[in-house]
Amino acid sequence: MSADLRIEAALKVAGRAVFPAETPATGLLYAALVEAPVASGELRALDPTAARAVPGFVDIVGHAEAEGLKASSNTALIRERTIHFAGQPLALVVAESPGAAEQAARAVRLEIEARPAVTALDQALDQAYAPKLAGRVPAETRRGDAATAIAGAHLVVRGRYETAVNNHHPMEPHAAVCVWEGERPTVHTNTQAVFGTRAAIAHAFQLPADDIRVVARYLGGGFGCKGPLWWPWMFLAMIAARRAGRPVRLELSRAQLFTLVGRRQETVQELALGFGADGRLVGIEHDVLAQTSTHGEYVDATAAVSRWLYACPNVSTTHRLVRTNEPQPIPMRAPGVAPGTFALESALDEAAERLGLDPVELRVRNFADRDQQADKPWSSNGLLECYRVGAERFGWAGRPAPGAARDGRWRLGSGMATACYPVHRQPASARVRISGEGALTVQCGTQDMGSGTYTVLGQMAAAQLGVAMADVTVELGDTWLPEGPYSGGSMVTLSILPAAEAAARQVRAQLAELAVTDEASPLAGLPVEDLEFADGLVRSRSGNAAEPLVDLLRRRAPAGLEAEASATPPEASDVSGMGYGAVFVEVGIDPDLGELRVRRVTAAYAAGRILNPLLAKSQHVGGLIGGIGMALHERTVTDRATGRILGDGFADYLIPVHADMPEFDIALVDEHDPHLPGGVKGIGMLGSAGVQAAIANAVHDAIGRRVRHLPIRIEDLL
Amino acid sequence: MSGAAFRYARAADPAAAVTLGAAPGAAFLAGGTDLLQLWKAGVQAPAQVVDISRLPLATVAAEADGLKLGALARLHDVAAHPDVARDYPLVAEAILASASGQVRHMASVGGNLLQRTRCVYFRGGEGLACNKRAPGSGCGALEGENRQHALFGGSAACVATHASDLAVALVALDAEVEVLSAAGSRRLPLAELYRQPGEAPERDTTLAPGELIAAVQVADAARFAGRSTYLKVRDRASFEFAVVSVAAALVVAGGRIAEARLAAGGVGTVPWRLDAAEAALVGQPVGPDAFAAAGAAATEGAQPLAHNGFKVELLRRAVVRALETVGGQA
Ligand SMILES: Cc1cc2nc3c(=O)[nH]c(=O)nc-3n(C[C@H](O)[C@H](O)[C@H](O)COP(=O)(O)OP(=O)(O)OC[C@H]3O[C@@H](n4cnc5c(N)ncnc54)[C@H](O)[C@@H]3O)c2cc1C
Ligand code: SF4
Repeated sequence: MSADLRIEAALKVAGRAVFPAETPATGLLYAALVEAPVASGELRALDPTAARAVPGFVDIVGHAEAEGLKASSNTALIRERTIHFAGQPLALVVAESPGAAEQAARAVRLEIEARPAVTALDQALDQAYAPKLAGRVPAETRRGDAATAIAGAHLVVRGRYETAVNNHHPMEPHAAVCVWEGERPTVHTNTQAVFGTRAAIAHAFQLPADDIRVVARYLGGGFGCKGPLWWPWMFLAMIAARRAGRPVRLELSRAQLFTLVGRRQETVQELALGFGADGRLVGIEHDVLAQTSTHGEYVDATAAVSRWLYACPNVSTTHRLVRTNEPQPIPMRAPGVAPGTFALESALDEAAERLGLDPVELRVRNFADRDQQADKPWSSNGLLECYRVGAERFGWAGRPAPGAARDGRWRLGSGMATACYPVHRQPASARVRISGEGALTVQCGTQDMGSGTYTVLGQMAAAQLGVAMADVTVELGDTWLPEGPYSGGSMVTLSILPAAEAAARQVRAQLAELAVTDEASPLAGLPVEDLEFADGLVRSRSGNAAEPLVDLLRRRAPAGLEAEASATPPEASDVSGMGYGAVFVEVGIDPDLGELRVRRVTAAYAAGRILNPLLAKSQHVGGLIGGIGMALHERTVTDRATGRILGDGFADYLIPVHADMPEFDIALVDEHDPHLPGGVKGIGMLGSAGVQAAIANAVHDAIGRRVRHLPIRIEDLL
Repeated sequence: MSGAAFRYARAADPAAAVTLGAAPGAAFLAGGTDLLQLWKAGVQAPAQVVDISRLPLATVAAEADGLKLGALARLHDVAAHPDVARDYPLVAEAILASASGQVRHMASVGGNLLQRTRCVYFRGGEGLACNKRAPGSGCGALEGENRQHALFGGSAACVATHASDLAVALVALDAEVEVLSAAGSRRLPLAELYRQPGEAPERDTTLAPGELIAAVQVADAARFAGRSTYLKVRDRASFEFAVVSVAAALVVAGGRIAEARLAAGGVGTVPWRLDAAEAALVGQPVGPDAFAAAGAAATEGAQPLAHNGFKVELLRRAVVRALETVGGQA
């Protein structure tokens, strides 16, 4: 398909795309959260007297009101009075203006019995425990005997790798506009899962799902944080709206995005790689320690990359968690794979040096030609091609010797790493409708995170029915539409595309049938297989017969036609799906001053069929920028004394600015995947994996120093 | 997010401004780029905001006796002024290394000099100990996160750095400030405007309530123009405060250093003039030995904390690098 611009680009640029927080509502009230000042304790009492005195105050909703909700992990934090982290909402105030709501929230007096808090991972190491699952896979795996293999290896590379806490920070903060009509709520909220949100509301409020509508037409990014952790606060706003009989809006502040909606957990990873004299891996031990909260359990599958990225007979991986009184971690772009590849790909670079092998060659030697963990073949695997294409475009073979290249005060270094992300799918349905006048509509209850879902669906439908993009409307982000998947794990496109494509094909088949059976059509009597839909025409492939699609519709289907189709991933598949990439980076370092600049990034990605190269590149570039942030800038800091987040704004939580971004050279490697539906793999995560290690490896190449923690900062390079 | 309600008044002229500004709890509003942030975060809650942004104090003039910057001159306009760029490149460079284009179009010279520390405990608001924000509450940074904090001029009560880049350049150039109050006007060296925290970190400056900075005056410094630089080391390429910065300016005659000006940012509780390093340079032949001696002298007396120790070595290297940059050919 072609590199069309986003369908909704003009709307967004002109400010006419209505984001959930902007949903107009008459009589709107504004909400603000009352936050816990301590990181651990029990709320004994809450005195709203002073808040009530604030002009414009309307209502306050707290535990007493939330107790009416059904108990579950989604409602625990608002039903129970235990304080698990500083900033935890203890009540929600609504008022006639945002300012009044905030002022009233600040005026609420809290009586709290504070308890000692665990405010850092290292304070509770003795209480680390092993969870059962890491992400969706087992937390612990063992294949062969890694310890023995490593003990007898020709070369062992061992290291401890640490990654900092990161926060997602989509440009658009979380918001909900909640409206009740009787017992039927409509919630406009920027969620990564309109249907998941509806199910959560149905459960919490014990309402029939069909009575609930969740709408998220446009989103300003999510990266994993517009999910379940947002629900309790949204529920409070819904309770308030029901009590007031008026719409209520809750919108989080930038500071609250540090505490209330999840984070990428910090990791401490112990990694040992054993190699034979031929450079082949004989054993891998990858043990991960990570933070979770005192109220929820989550661990990224950080060590999982070590299970399948390379061929190795002996692999053991573990994950352990330490509970702290800090915010709850959840998946963030390239969950697990981002920190996991940082460790694995850094260690591989070290091994290449010690084995005297080119880093690319070492990876090629250890290429896994099947998924050894799942013991299945790959659905397709373009990794070797990514190495070849990436290396060639970057000029890897001709790069200077380590430490040799300079540019004025800058010492230059090059590094590379592998990127990968597993293919995930969810069931999805979609509807395609064509009107009697040829207007095509695609509907699916998934949401466009801003990554281009509207556009790829529109392009697909336009191509199937041969109509112009201008005649296509795509409707997403509404539970009144056919059920679609949540946005996460790079799976939206590959989940909905097969359903939408099937629906479009059904409409096309119906139209073809009408054409060949209509005496008035020049196509009458032709076999349906001979028809094609293109340029607004239905025409014969073999002959000259053709007629405009609109004419056929007006005559035979003036009321239009529609079809709905579903696609469900198989319970068990006999192949493993994986997207791959190879990232090559050049950095410049001023070793006197510890300054580092990423000068050049070349990345080659093989991720199945590419629906729109422009959108795909934009996803990769965005992912790479996020990866540069993780490598060099992003670090959420908790004050050990109080458990509060320090510097909870963009002045202190650094992300790359334009001057930190090099030019990105992205190669999309052609990959035909015969096994996956539509040949599509996810692409959203790939960019955020691998680049961190590529940068760290380039640092080593430039100045001979291995930095094994992220972010890499001035003091690491002096 | 918004802060507490306040009364707002626009000052008709400087005299009205100082009268209004002398009321308890009053704060001047210039570009608002710092004050409004602090207000939103609940760090500062002025009862009365006195808008001075339209007062006629925005001159930028380079004359025979030096450079005069009106307190309300926008940072952008100062840096873009051809005379400043030519004769006071140190000032222009320090400004261009500050904040972003957008901020520099709003921010004023006076507001920049009086911006408050970036200490995350100070800006974090209620719940974090901070003697500067809430006297007597303690200093969260002393035993906490103190990578951004000072090597020089700290006390047991506060170790916060002063964040302005412009102030570092101006202190190096011996700038003076003209201050207005109901009692009239006075002039003082910029270096004396700033207070080290001592026992009273809540007071950043020696200004009395209601005193208004009207202008900054820099004595003629064109002789440094060919040999000055502002070096800023930071955690990302742009739009970020200094981890360490150095303003350096030399006058060289006959291969020897006749005059030296050095000041550092990111390391002091006030813009930090490096007197000992200057003394190590004056009279010496231009070259690596003198620069190394100055680098070593610059770090004398540094009192590193748990997380900012690297800044001692970084300061030494930054001083040397800045001097190499301006040293050029003897
Ligand atoms: C994102 C960001 C990044 C930044 N990065 C940098 C940087 O890298 N380097 C740097 O140096 N600065 C940086 N700054 C700070 C910025 O330069 C200051 O916020 C700005 O200069 C303040 O000027 P203003 O006119 O907006 O001051 P205001 O916010 O209006 O005032 C600041 C303070 O000064 C007082 N005041 C203002 N004018 C006068 C006067 N004439 N007399 C007496 N009191 C007065 C006010 O009452 C207030 O207390 C950054 C700011 C932001 C927001
Ligand atoms: S260093 Fe100063 S500003 Fe920072 S917490 Fe301590 S007292 Fe407050």
